[in-house]
Amino acid sequence: MKAGLPLAGVALLAALAGFSLYLAGRHAEPLAIPAGPVDATPAAIQSARFEDGEGASRSLGQFAGKVVVVNFWATWCSPCREEMPGFVKLQSKWEGRGVQFVGLAQDDAAKVAAFGRELGVNYPLWLGGTEVMDFSRRLGNHLGVLPHTVLLDGQGRVLESRIGVYPEAALDARLASATGR
Amino acid sequence: MKIPAATLAAFALAAGLAAAAPADEPLEPDRAFQPHARLVAGAHAAGGQERHGIDIDYRIEPGYYLYRSRLRFEVSPPALLIGPPEIPLGVDIDDPYFGKSSIFRDRVTIHLPFMVSMARPGRYRVKITAQGCAEGRICYAPFLQEVVVNIPPGYRVNDALSPRGLPR
Repeated sequence: MKAGLPLAGVALLAALAGFSLYLAGRHAEPLAIPAGPVDATPAAIQSARFEDGEGASRSLGQFAGKVVVVNFWATWCSPCREEMPGFVKLQSKWEGRGVQFVGLAQDDAAKVAAFGRELGVNYPLWLGGTEVMDFSRRLGNHLGVLPHTVLLDGQGRVLESRIGVYPEAALDARLASATGR
Repeated sequence: MKIPAATLAAFALAAGLAAAAPADEPLEPDRAFQPHARLVAGAHAAGGQERHGIDIDYRIEPGYYLYRSRLRFEVSPPALLIGPPEIPLGVDIDDPYFGKSSIFRDRVTIHLPFMVSMARPGRYRVKITAQGCAEGRICYAPFLQEVVVNIPPGYRVNDALSPRGLPR
């Protein structure tokens, strides 16, 4: 009986610890999840071609020398749209410090343009056909899900590839380490 | 039966740790959205009419949903003609950008009606294009799925149900 009381105390403390961890988990922001292995060379990444809003051909190679944040998204994907205002803020913050965001979508050009205007997106939103999701898969997105965010260094090498919503604060910290600032 | 307090403590802590674990990786689309096909031959629908065609039963994992308007079906070989899919209404969700979208959670059955009175026996593949999301986490780009249905020899749709002018 005497030994029962300390044990009950331990049980109560452990239960409280467990419950508080449960609550912490419930209220955490949705996390980005590391994507799988990358199957593309830096040269292939930099030379892949897409179209801008005016139909002109574009490639990531035009941002060589910068840390590039490639965000795969779609107008119909609500988690994508939730994280984009954070990307707009980060593009403003990191613009003069060697960082360039690019959005890539397999989507309707008019919808993308309307969404970009409405949200005041301050980075290029490029378009493509099925090659957009093929490119995303080669950059580690084996599930074919959105959003998918990839960080490239100045030579087009993949620094990080994540699926799911990338919280603004976490990406801000990641950009600081990627740029050494 | 008396359970030792230390065991209870271990369970409580384990439960807490499990719940606090980082977000799990999303499921493969074929696990999140599981379609099954079955031949519907003469079953009575709610309205008392006979139905002939293929039912696609979707089992959808908790926390996931399918977009109603993004479902597409194609039967191959195309010798088996099907009419417009009969898709239930679904649940409306209000998207701040898109407005209302109809979605399916948990389970849904889509009926693909035959448009011919005689369906040639054989093995048919139904190719499905679908789109869906894991609630608040990720969305799946359009993905392809395939289910198989076998039509046994001697299968015959009631002639009275065959729309006029359609091939027999």
